[in-house]
Amino acid sequence: MDNEDRSAPSDDRSALVSEDGKNAKSVLCQRCGSKVLCPGMAQFAEKELFLPSMRKKTSISEPGGTMEGDTLTAHWLVDDMYTFENVGFTKDVGKVKYLICADCEIGPIGWHCLDDKKSFYVALERVHHA
Amino acid sequence: MDPRHEIPRRAAGFSGGSVAESPAAAQSRRRKAPPRPADYKLQVIIIGSRGVGKTSLMERFTDDTFCEACKSTVGVDFKIKTVELRGKKIRLQIWDTAGQERFNSITSAYYRGAKGIVIVYDITKQETFEDLPKWMKMIDKYASEDAELLLVGNKLDCETDRIISRQQAERFASRISGMRFCEASAKDNFNVDEIFLKLVDDILSKMPLEVTNKDLSNSILSLQPEPEVPPELPPPRLRCC
Repeated sequence: MDNEDRSAPSDDRSALVSEDGKNAKSVLCQRCGSKVLCPGMAQFAEKELFLPSMRKKTSISEPGGTMEGDTLTAHWLVDDMYTFENVGFTKDVGKVKYLICADCEIGPIGWHCLDDKKSFYVALERVHHA
Repeated sequence: MDPRHEIPRRAAGFSGGSVAESPAAAQSRRRKAPPRPADYKLQVIIIGSRGVGKTSLMERFTDDTFCEACKSTVGVDFKIKTVELRGKKIRLQIWDTAGQERFNSITSAYYRGAKGIVIVYDITKQETFEDLPKWMKMIDKYASEDAELLLVGNKLDCETDRIISRQQAERFASRISGMRFCEASAKDNFNVDEIFLKLVDDILSKMPLEVTNKDLSNSILSLQPEPEVPPELPPPRLRCC
């Protein structure tokens, strides 16, 4: 919570997160550059979330089984889906909707749980910043 | 290599005194003005029979990465897209109803909040055109009366296989008050941006200037699962042709 205590795991983290804990840069799709968030619109948040791999598009829908993916902790958090410039939502996977690029549909780039209507996460590792 | 769509977007931090500023945005103002929040939020749905290209139209609208093989397997529920028109920043919530083509499987909630409805048929497939009256019945039954309607004859790239003439469709559209018509090709990206922007423009024309962001957001579907109550099909005798 306290920005002062945040020991940035990397130098570029501090370039991405502004003093007030918001995204200093635009958040863009890694593949097509579609703008997901304008600067200053999202809050940096740490939360352990499992996101299926971006490589295998079908893996999300596979029922059960082992899913390839990563547990990611660094996210941009917004509380209203209309904060996004462009973003797509997958159909429900359990209680989760994954966020994808609205234009090229690469993803998942983020995570939303239907139980928490005010939290939409976008993983820093899965987007570009510019 | 950069297929990024070029819908002109106003630079971030443009206007300090925009119409409807959210509390969050106000808080974030420190050294510089925050990015301007959206002026309008509009819900648009895309309907039409199976295989007419609804999803392709949605993707084409803001991107140049159309690929014939990329039929979405994950299942996209809806998208938020931002466009700029008349100096306004508009967030569209676009629902593609692909996979729910049986008329009665699209819940009435999709229609209820829609400010714009895009009805798509395939110019090479007679039956997709013949289905239009059934879609109209659904619209009559569930959609707001002031929803803008746009009929789109898709697959203009398949001109040689055309079955439905432009005149035929124009005639159909002219019988429905306020319905616009155009032909498009999602594959060739012909007319796709234009039809969406046109639709949004028509919607904005109807907007009273004083309508606020907040009022409009009431019409937006929430993410909460809808109770799956399939709307009843209207009795066949109501069919007009």
